[in-house]
Amino acid sequence: MADDNMASHRRDPIKSSVGNVAGQRRRQNAITVGKERRESLVRAKRLCRVGTNGDSVDPLDSEMMIDEEQSILEAQTSTAVDELNSAVAHQGKGAWQKRVSALRELRRLLSRSEFPPVDAALKAGAIPLLVQCLSFGSPDEQLLEAAWCLTNIAAGKPEETKALLPALPLLIAHLGEKSSSPVAEQCAWAIGNVAGEGEELRNILLSQGSLPPLARMMLPDKGSTVKTAAWALSNLIKGPNPKAANELIRVEGVLDAIIRHLRKADDELATEVAWVVVYLSALSNIATSMLVKSDVLQLLVERLATSNSLQLLIPVLRGLGNLIAGDSQTTHAVIVPGNEITGNIIDVLVKCLKSEHRVLKKEAAWVLSNIAAGSIEHKQLIYSSEAVPLLIRLLSTAPFDIRKEVAYVLGNLCVSPIAPTEGDGKPTLILEHLVSLVGRGCLPGFIDLVSSADTEAARLGLQFMELVLRGMPNGEGPKLVEKENGIEAMERFQFHENEDLRNMANSLVDKYFGEDYGLDD
Amino acid sequence: MEWNPQNLQTLSDCFFNTLSPLPEPRHQAEAILSDFSQKPNYGLAVLRLVAEPNVADQIRQAASVNFKNHLKVRWAPAPNSDEPSIMDAEKEQIKALIVSLMLNATPKIQGQLSEALVLIGKHDFPRLWPTLLPELIASLQKASQAGDYASINGILGTANSIFKKFRYEYKTNDLLLDLKYCLDNFAAPLLEIFLKTANLIDAAANAGGGDSAALKPLFESQRLCCRIFYSLNFQELPEFFEDHMNEWMNEQRKYLATSYPALESSPDGLALVDELRAAVCENINLYMEKNEEEFQAYLNGFALAVWNLLTSVSQASSRDQLAVTAIKFLTTVSTSVHHNLFAGDGVIPQICQGIVIPNVRLRDEDEELFDMNYIEFIRRDMEGSDLDTRRRIACELLKGIATNYKQQVTNLVSVQIQNLLSSFATNPSVNWKDKDCAIYLVVSLATKKAGGTSVSTDLVDVQSFFGSVIVPELQSQNVNGYPMLKAESNVVHSYAASCIEKLLLVKDECGTARYTSVDISPVLLQLMNNLFEALQFPESEENQYVMKCIMRVLGVADISREIAGPCITGLTLILNKACENPKNPVFNHYVFESVAVLVKRACGKDASLISIFETNLFPSIQKILVEDVQEFYPYALQLLAQLVELNRPPIPQSYMQVFPMLLSPESWRKASNVPALVRLLQAFLQKAPHELNQEGRLRQVLEIFNKLLSARSTDEQGFYVLNTVVESLDFNVIAPYIGQIWSALFTVLQSRQTGKFIKSLLIFMSLFLVKHGSTNLVDSMNGIQANLFLVILGQFWISNLRLITGVIETKLTAVASTRLLCESQSLLDAAAVEQWGKMLNSIVTLVSRTEQDRVEEDPEMPDIAENAGYSATFVRLHNAGKSEDDPLKDIRDAKEFLVTSLARLSALSPGRYPQIISQYVEPANQAELLRLCNSYNCQIV
Repeated sequence: MADDNMASHRRDPIKSSVGNVAGQRRRQNAITVGKERRESLVRAKRLCRVGTNGDSVDPLDSEMMIDEEQSILEAQTSTAVDELNSAVAHQGKGAWQKRVSALRELRRLLSRSEFPPVDAALKAGAIPLLVQCLSFGSPDEQLLEAAWCLTNIAAGKPEETKALLPALPLLIAHLGEKSSSPVAEQCAWAIGNVAGEGEELRNILLSQGSLPPLARMMLPDKGSTVKTAAWALSNLIKGPNPKAANELIRVEGVLDAIIRHLRKADDELATEVAWVVVYLSALSNIATSMLVKSDVLQLLVERLATSNSLQLLIPVLRGLGNLIAGDSQTTHAVIVPGNEITGNIIDVLVKCLKSEHRVLKKEAAWVLSNIAAGSIEHKQLIYSSEAVPLLIRLLSTAPFDIRKEVAYVLGNLCVSPIAPTEGDGKPTLILEHLVSLVGRGCLPGFIDLVSSADTEAARLGLQFMELVLRGMPNGEGPKLVEKENGIEAMERFQFHENEDLRNMANSLVDKYFGEDYGLDD
Repeated sequence: MEWNPQNLQTLSDCFFNTLSPLPEPRHQAEAILSDFSQKPNYGLAVLRLVAEPNVADQIRQAASVNFKNHLKVRWAPAPNSDEPSIMDAEKEQIKALIVSLMLNATPKIQGQLSEALVLIGKHDFPRLWPTLLPELIASLQKASQAGDYASINGILGTANSIFKKFRYEYKTNDLLLDLKYCLDNFAAPLLEIFLKTANLIDAAANAGGGDSAALKPLFESQRLCCRIFYSLNFQELPEFFEDHMNEWMNEQRKYLATSYPALESSPDGLALVDELRAAVCENINLYMEKNEEEFQAYLNGFALAVWNLLTSVSQASSRDQLAVTAIKFLTTVSTSVHHNLFAGDGVIPQICQGIVIPNVRLRDEDEELFDMNYIEFIRRDMEGSDLDTRRRIACELLKGIATNYKQQVTNLVSVQIQNLLSSFATNPSVNWKDKDCAIYLVVSLATKKAGGTSVSTDLVDVQSFFGSVIVPELQSQNVNGYPMLKAESNVVHSYAASCIEKLLLVKDECGTARYTSVDISPVLLQLMNNLFEALQFPESEENQYVMKCIMRVLGVADISREIAGPCITGLTLILNKACENPKNPVFNHYVFESVAVLVKRACGKDASLISIFETNLFPSIQKILVEDVQEFYPYALQLLAQLVELNRPPIPQSYMQVFPMLLSPESWRKASNVPALVRLLQAFLQKAPHELNQEGRLRQVLEIFNKLLSARSTDEQGFYVLNTVVESLDFNVIAPYIGQIWSALFTVLQSRQTGKFIKSLLIFMSLFLVKHGSTNLVDSMNGIQANLFLVILGQFWISNLRLITGVIETKLTAVASTRLLCESQSLLDAAAVEQWGKMLNSIVTLVSRTEQDRVEEDPEMPDIAENAGYSATFVRLHNAGKSEDDPLKDIRDAKEFLVTSLARLSALSPGRYPQIISQYVEPANQAELLRLCNSYNCQIV
């Protein structure tokens, strides 16, 4: 399991099968089988088509080749590798110029198209030659070209990325302070691509000590280098093992650098740094509590309020959500109703709920659901905010995944955080919220969730239905549920394989719609 | 069990004999096998026998069934089961063999082994069986190269079974890890075989149809692939499937849009293709529901294909499943963000005409069912939505479209209904189905008004519809006017009974019943006659609707002696008949419930009637108990308890005949009997304590307790006996025995620290305390050994209190502990301050934290109902019962009781307790205690 705190959700005890909706939901990202969100997918590996530092781009490169035949490109690449081979073998006069020009030719070929001829380069035996070109004491220009070639090879298919294995120790070595900054940056890029491939390669990179030098590259204020390093780091600490994230936050100066960049940097750099925050907060408890205590929360909220860049808003919002979900004690000390920041958080979340973009809506609802799991005051704050009408509308019109998140918010608004003082262990209701939300028409949305194929959503729907059945005044609950076809929705679970859902639904049907034996009682 | 020729021979002989038509060799063989099954490596030996080519097929088949059943019991026995588990070494060998054996077996054996494999997988896959998936994949690839579709489908079928858990389990990290493992390994091979088979099908279709024998396994294979697709995609859209959505969707759409004459010309071929299509519809329905954004590009294509398919799917019932899943897909689309697919001109009328109405209309099959199998007809027609029918799903589609296009749908359907009704009017005897269709549309599209006692709909005016369409049919004298609308049939008298039964449940706005005994009295005799008569009709002998109506009427009507007499005679007759061969549990339940309500209400009015009931019922009850009719056992006990309670002491001697049975440990061994036995024992203890104390009966009761306590699997039942005794009898009656009881309990405690036992013991001690006082508790324990109480308190009570679950149980133990804390001199003693403080700490934990926070999940603590297993489970008779007894009804809130008791105690010696509290109570609990004091306005000074 990724982290102590991320063990499997515990099942509710059998006795209180209709349990508490309010359980705080964990940070995202521990294990996913789905694609990473597409906006981050484009980030995982990056081709380097224009040099990291303007002067190494010659005029020829800036006019991109258009639609060159792939086969021609491949043939040229093979030739270029052969050239490199003889250049490397050549020991005499002008040897390094020869090597550099051979490298440059190969690099140009590998940068020309969206689909670089990586396969051809590998088949021709490029890797050992490039590794040789990375050897210590080589001139910067040679190092730069070789690392660039490797960067683009690593941007290829999984097995192509893996081909970089022999080059990793040297790439990491050149990250150090002794290297020139263009070389270090290019090596960081290559390493970022390797780390983006997957857990196995990440573990290798980490065991070879790539994290500390990359982390130190984040400390200065040099825009381009910091950006590349932050991006590479965000790939490197992705987990699911939290070790790397824990290690990163402990590197001296990193937290300050994160704060500084979030405060001052342009959108582009802030985006990369925000992704680092996302993974730190998703995986590491230590990092989460350090981040929460710093100004990061404030800065994320400001970024959300002021920026309109979707690329930036996504990681900022997710980072904010992770922080809120991650460390409830501290967070609830910071997000105190009445504090300025708390109002601001609700405002930016409303902004995201209103956004056209699906991911922002969904994640904003997720963040709200965790705040709504807090104290009575938190619940009242959301309840009286502009969020509620938006949420109610989304519950009936939005796509499924958003509806589910929204339902968590609305459900949490209706249950009290105070443990029940008597009776049956069921959550205490906040009647005012429940009555008002049901009156505004949110029951059908929950009943739809009961009918959905998603077990988690169905459980949530049943839990809300239980609140309605038990809590609505004057015994209105059963009538409302029946009217909205809630009974049919529950009957679906009569023989369901999921025992928990089956018990919940059957006991609700029995209790509220069961045989009315006691006619004369 | 060693694997040698001799054992092989013995086993084969046994399995051969289990097939014998003669009972004696059969029983003997079964007994021997049951003995063998206790030995290590028995499972392995049977599995090898199954694989032995020289053994006759029928013997191997019988062995394969036995093997599967053996695994079912022994692979992962429940923690408190007495069955030993198969040893790990044997398990490993079985796992190493089973895949290849299954794949090479004949179809019948393959089925059994595949089930066995799934049983193992349920427990072991994937983490304890890392070789399974690689082995399946390797075999799949081999079979695929050889084009061996028998093996391919065996492998896919197995994979399908083991992946099914992804369809219903909650999305936990553990589940996602398992899913990820399956995806990483299986997603690619699955796509590969799916595409390969698709090509073979295409090739056959292009080559002029292909031959159906060759095509069949290919379609079966594709269906299995689609079902696996469903499982693997259920939790969320996996990356691999998103990357390959094109391949998956294009092929799947092909199966909806293409016809395959070579197969579809025969019924079983058509069924095969339709099953594949239904699987495809399930898949796209899932995508539509959960991943509509990614699926959007394919939506139009699929919607069109489904639409065309539906207009061509014939009325044949063999195609129901396909029609239902296909309509379900359209319903999902209609309520999704892409509902505008229905917005186009004329789309909704076309759907209504082309899809809804044809599917709502009665078909010949329905008519047949109405005549031939009324129970099934009713089940489909009016019961739960777990059963999908075309009629129902077609109406769901209309409702779905109406969520966004209400006016259009309403207008369209009301016109439709009028048309149907006028078509009926022009020629009733030919067009009677139109009327049925109209009624069905009205009933299923009407919205119930909140409260469920009236309906409203925009489609028709309900009052006038009822008056002009329904009432005339009910009033016309011609019972068999039209087929089905109304006819002399089991369906119709069931519906009539059901209708009366429902009417008696209708409540007015203020909550009072709309119909009372006054409404029934004038027709009561006729009603009861007709109801009992309806039970004489062929096939309605066990009609549950009629029986339920009898129960309901008896629950409402005035029961006079004139009614009670014939009713009890009639019910007893039915009961005796049911005893011979209990078939329909629902019917039987209502029989007993009817008897109970009759007894209760009649005796309530006229206590002298009890003797009539006793005379009538005793023989039946006797018969059930003596002949051990398992299904009715708990019912009979409950009726008996009811009768005991209605009697005035002294209890007639006839009741005491039951006592030996009640005192036999055998009766108590079955968990499902226990609640009813407890209930009966309670009744006896309360109504006849004197009789119980005679002839050493109490000693016998305690012996039962001892027996039940001695086995791990029945100790809980033992506590039920003990609790009943302690709760019902005075202390001076129990006192002579209490020493032995404690000794027995503490002896077991030394060796059995299961959660179940600890919990039961704590509850018993608490119950003892609240019934008989803390002094009796402490003194009787110390009577065994000086100072034993404080030892038990320190080592057992304080540390385990937090484990208590259940509302009544928590309250009971919390109150008992509080009383100890505030009453017991041994705890209030200055020498016991540490125990006092820690006890308080435990109580605060118990009352303030949720069960989840206090109790580690203990797999050994199933509810009594759950552990009843396959045998008859306990069904409480409402009318014979009393509700779950809370031994502390006068104390509402244990927290309040705690703080008020503490406040009172501390007022006696101010300054003493705050100090103890700050020393021994955890800081969090101190804060909690303070909070409680504040909320109940109490102070610990």
